[in-house]
Amino acid sequence: MLRQERDRFTTMQLTATQRIARQGQTVIEMAVGIILCSLCISVAMPLQAADPDTDMAATSEWGDGEMLFALKVSQLFADKCNACHGDDPDNIEGGFDMRSRESILVGGDAFEDTVVLPGIGQKSMLHVVTTRRESGYEMPPKESEKLTEEQVNWIRKWIDLGASWPNQSTIESIRNKYAQGVQVPTSGGLSDDWSNRRYQSEHLWAYRPTQNSVVPDDQHPIDYFVNKALRQKDLEPAADALPYEVCRRLSFGLTGLPPSVQQTANFAKSYSADTQKAVADYADTLMSSPHYGEHFGRHWLDVGRYADSAGFANDYARPNAWRYRDYVIRAFNNDLPYSDFVRQQIAGDELSNTDSDNLIATGFLRMGPWEQTSMSVFRVTRQQWLDDVTDSVGQTFLAHPLQCCKCHDHKFDPLPTRDYYSVMAVFSTTQFAEPDVPFTDDECQTGFEAGDQWTTAKIEAYKKQQQELSQKIAAKRKTESANAKIGDNGLDPGDEASQARMNKNIKRHEWELDKTRPIALSVYTGKTVARNNVSGRLTVPLNPWKKGYFEKDTILTGGDAFSPGAPVTPGALSAAERIGDMPSRPFPSGKGKRRMALADWIIHDDNPLTSRVIVNRVWSWHFGKGIAGNPNNFGATGRLPTHPELLDYLANWFVDNGWSIKKLNRLIVQSQTYRRSSRHLNPEQVEAKDPKRDLYATFLPRRLTAEEMRDALLSCSGELNRQIGGLPCRPDLNQEVAMQPRQIMGGTASVYEPDALPQQRNRRSIYAEKIRGLRDPFFETFNQPGPDRSCELRETSTVAPQAFTLLNAQEMQDRSLAFAKSLLSRNDDADDVVQDAFQIALARIPIESELQAVKSHWDRAIKSEQGKLYEPVRLDTKIVRTVMAEKTGEPYDFIEIMPAYANYVPDVQPSQLDARTRALGQVCLVLMNLNEFSYLD
Amino acid sequence: MNPFQQNIYRPRRDFLYGLGASLGSVALTSMLQADEPSATVSQVPHFPAKAKRCIFLMMEGGPSQIDTFDPKAELTKRHLQEFSRSGEEQSAMSSGKRYFVKSPFKFKKAGQCGADICDQWVHLQERVDDICFYRGAQAESVNHPTACYHINTGNRFGGDPGVGAWVTYGLGTSNKNLPGFVVLPRSSYPQGGAANWSNGFLPAEYQGTPLRPQGSPILNLNLPAGMTSDQQRENLDLLAKLNQQHLTGRPGRSELAARMGSYELAYRMQSEVPGILDIDGESRSTLDMYGIGDAKTDRFGRKCLLARRLVEKGVRFVQAYAGNWDSHDYIERAHGSLIRSVDQPIAALLKDLKQRGMLKDTLVFFCGEFGRTPDNGLRGGGKSYGRDHNAKAMTMWFAGGGVKAGETIGATDEVGGEAVECVHPLRDVHVTLLRLLGLDDNKLTYYHAGRFKQLSQFGGDVINELIA
Repeated sequence: MLRQERDRFTTMQLTATQRIARQGQTVIEMAVGIILCSLCISVAMPLQAADPDTDMAATSEWGDGEMLFALKVSQLFADKCNACHGDDPDNIEGGFDMRSRESILVGGDAFEDTVVLPGIGQKSMLHVVTTRRESGYEMPPKESEKLTEEQVNWIRKWIDLGASWPNQSTIESIRNKYAQGVQVPTSGGLSDDWSNRRYQSEHLWAYRPTQNSVVPDDQHPIDYFVNKALRQKDLEPAADALPYEVCRRLSFGLTGLPPSVQQTANFAKSYSADTQKAVADYADTLMSSPHYGEHFGRHWLDVGRYADSAGFANDYARPNAWRYRDYVIRAFNNDLPYSDFVRQQIAGDELSNTDSDNLIATGFLRMGPWEQTSMSVFRVTRQQWLDDVTDSVGQTFLAHPLQCCKCHDHKFDPLPTRDYYSVMAVFSTTQFAEPDVPFTDDECQTGFEAGDQWTTAKIEAYKKQQQELSQKIAAKRKTESANAKIGDNGLDPGDEASQARMNKNIKRHEWELDKTRPIALSVYTGKTVARNNVSGRLTVPLNPWKKGYFEKDTILTGGDAFSPGAPVTPGALSAAERIGDMPSRPFPSGKGKRRMALADWIIHDDNPLTSRVIVNRVWSWHFGKGIAGNPNNFGATGRLPTHPELLDYLANWFVDNGWSIKKLNRLIVQSQTYRRSSRHLNPEQVEAKDPKRDLYATFLPRRLTAEEMRDALLSCSGELNRQIGGLPCRPDLNQEVAMQPRQIMGGTASVYEPDALPQQRNRRSIYAEKIRGLRDPFFETFNQPGPDRSCELRETSTVAPQAFTLLNAQEMQDRSLAFAKSLLSRNDDADDVVQDAFQIALARIPIESELQAVKSHWDRAIKSEQGKLYEPVRLDTKIVRTVMAEKTGEPYDFIEIMPAYANYVPDVQPSQLDARTRALGQVCLVLMNLNEFSYLD
Repeated sequence: MNPFQQNIYRPRRDFLYGLGASLGSVALTSMLQADEPSATVSQVPHFPAKAKRCIFLMMEGGPSQIDTFDPKAELTKRHLQEFSRSGEEQSAMSSGKRYFVKSPFKFKKAGQCGADICDQWVHLQERVDDICFYRGAQAESVNHPTACYHINTGNRFGGDPGVGAWVTYGLGTSNKNLPGFVVLPRSSYPQGGAANWSNGFLPAEYQGTPLRPQGSPILNLNLPAGMTSDQQRENLDLLAKLNQQHLTGRPGRSELAARMGSYELAYRMQSEVPGILDIDGESRSTLDMYGIGDAKTDRFGRKCLLARRLVEKGVRFVQAYAGNWDSHDYIERAHGSLIRSVDQPIAALLKDLKQRGMLKDTLVFFCGEFGRTPDNGLRGGGKSYGRDHNAKAMTMWFAGGGVKAGETIGATDEVGGEAVECVHPLRDVHVTLLRLLGLDDNKLTYYHAGRFKQLSQFGGDVINELIA
């Protein structure tokens, strides 16, 4: 055994020497696999190496213990221990200092000199605590950082070997000769240890230039790579899916809407004639429909954390955010090259501030939650935005959650904290503004009048109430008594609170009036102006460099806005530049166009990340999972690509094809991989050979997203208003949630009022006003992500509230009845009606047993419905609300006027329908609750 | 996103029926191990703990420590003397001339332990021997929504899971017909809204479920107008039949079967949940004890009684909101009426839990999002004084499972402006709260956006002084 090890050592030295000869590249890769292997084996053997006969030094000028320390243990200490046990000499946890052999031998408060017993690893507490067997002393304390078994063994073995601690130059020599892994030159870490650390080669895949594999001419590139991997696992792919399945898959996949009955029929016909062509033609049809942009826009807005309000205490409206939403939709519909899409969102205003889209697009930078009130410190909220934009740009365009290196150099990736602050410095001259930006012909201005009418009516109602209240207060107010700590001013508990509440809501609604004005949520480049309170529109100053201050571009120690450290200059990710062989260009600072430089850096043809990131996203939008499993995280903690060659091929193909998302979609959907059945003839085999479903032997079925669900319901019921773009709409939402008082700074926010007319309310879900402080429970229940963080992929959970919603919610009764009514307006014969219903809801006709079951259910339901009496809905235009007054600590009531209900037209009501239609409504309700309705095969 | 949950072909374990998770991460561990070694959830059970459930009494708005449990004689001496504050981390709120302000309330030493408590707490005085008052906590924000997010989620800027979501993620719930994490909000939602009890990046089943004081307690729990239970049963039968047919052609699709199961569960819950929530079955003496029926205590009394019923039924974490304690003015009147509105209900809750033998394994936690200043601007000509927001000192106490009883830990300075003894940031309070429930903050992690996240954000220390 030992002799074998020695032989291996010799071999590895040779190998190392050979490898060293290959040095000199930017990346010094010393993948001395054999060394490592050998060391791991030897280290993994407990209590073997203490054999005095072993003379490892014969094969090396250094001892085993020194080698182990230099190659493994010292780095392990640096990564896992020193943050608490040495990095900060003034604050050594538990009195245990791990900076030297001497201090380690002295030990700490807890175990004193039993911490390290040279030669007896098994009994040394340093080893014991890493095994996590000693309750209360598990080290490192965080479970997520616990050592691997291998790492635990390194420490034990190192102690067994005498706990030797070579000096720094010896460590360097050993590492130079033997160290495994890849060093990555970066802009430099906070410590040399970090700068010199080594990375597992495979974790650096995303920074390397894309590889170009050759695909045989007669093969579809996706199928070529996917089938190759399947063959390697000896796994047969599933056959093509049935025509109606592919039709539904394409329609939802490209537009987020179900296919029409006609489309399904046409597709089925052409699919059997020429599969490839049928798919290509239908995909083109779908992508030329404006609904394509809505659907892909929705994907993008998930990543971009879109909302129509600002969140926090006031949750002020962002009245012009919708123009950004429509910009995104247009960008996809017009197939704007992705490179331009990136540039406009990051630096549109710096490209040209006369182009409307350029200014609107920069709304991306401001999509996170943000507010500044007199209760907050400007430096803190400014920093909050800088952190948000830095991290968001990292996640969105580069698949790097940069927050991970805000307080310290990145723990797993070659991202020094310096890079974080360099990216942040790009934004330190970026300022908020809502400038005048003319509407273009491409923007939808429908419904402006109605939108303003409601807002104005709301303001007027408040003003009228306020006037009445002022008169009442004036009449009632008494001078407070000399010691009036109890507020004996003669007023009712809510009087003053109501004044404040109405003032605040008037202010809020007045700002909302900006939504129909030619204004954009945008940015400009200039000095930072500190503000105490932002409660209205900000404009661009005439000279953006006059007032305000230049922010100091520095590292912030520990991420603290008040602890400036070393200065930085604007820049990007140094590792991507150096590993990716990108030409490095300096970024401007001072008054320069910093964001333009960053945008150009991101879309540079040689940037190894950008094209991979977007093709991976698009792939994930089609297949429900990325080739790289974490579309927002290509670092070491993200999942490695399952098909790296394919990812690179697609990335290159995408750039070669003009950064066109539509072309990429066409390529993807034309593959056999895309149109595979979700059912496999041999599911056990799939389970055995591909338990994680990484190989695409079948199409992975998915549940509809929250928005697809609502849109599909409206589409089936025939109520969907397909207007593209424009002001946010206000759908009906659960009445209790709508009426639920919610506090804002200074009072209670106005009630949520839906739009008055069905066609206003029943628009696609992407247009539903997204209020951070008031989420629509329908969407939330079906896993719509909150808008405060970038969402890389939707979650799907199955919980009982979804069943409550789909069975009992008012919206569902409305959809079911409207669906039933429209079915009976076309057909009278029960068979025809049910056939029609299945085709609309499920894109197929029912089999006989289904037809009979549904018909008899309908008959029974007719009997139940006969004789039932439904009252027409009556909606009040006033509501009494009860809240607590701050000044008195006592509840009070107030009346709020709801102008929307003055002209409100409800959706189809049961009182308007006969028993047969209502009974069919029950059938429709069941169809819309089916698994088959919710899941896409 | 959790790398182990992104596959659309999820293993069966992800389809947890019901409103809440029926399995906690500890229980999940063994199942996860089969897939991939990981630190996503703990690999070993955490600590043995006395507390098995928690009731969090959230005093929204920031109750004043000085006018509740932390008397400051020095303030009486300095009343209306000028006060000055420095430091660059100031908001516009604390600008202008400011003056010390004494408490309008008298204090007494209560119970065997002689705890300080102001005379407005008529009922709670009787329970102080069960309480561990803590004066050392410090928040970081003086802005309501950020401070509320901080105490509720550990992150000042929102978007993270609530404490109750973390606890339910760790421990699960023992009644799968009820959510594991229930919130009893005030009639109006706090600033920052439902994000205060969000599941954040945890799966949706860990979200706090607000039980509304009025209307349908759980959204859409009630049948729609005109629908009979029989009719719904018939609908569900047809649904099951058609779904079953669909499933037959798709063997191994556990998510489809789970979804079918969720409908049956929903149907059962519709009949069972209202009974659990209906407090009318309680005896008159119990209702009286909680102050139900008395206008000033009825609202919070109902919440406290409901909280007891819920934890009795296996709900893991209940958060009940009271307030608004944001008394910038008229503190005597405002705090006075607020204390009266919660005093009897809270005292009753402690007594009731104790009578039922539940206090020993139920943790009751009382706090606001921050404390209040010893000083005030001269509003209303000095007659209407109150207190502003203060992150450096705050009101907080614990009772029940695993905490010291009848003790006061930590201290603030002579004017109550800043904690000076046994000082800990809120993250340590969170770590301690988890520890009392048997959870280790360092093990209760979830992989999201590139790193393992935890309630304390980056780790913290247990406040051992609080633990019995």
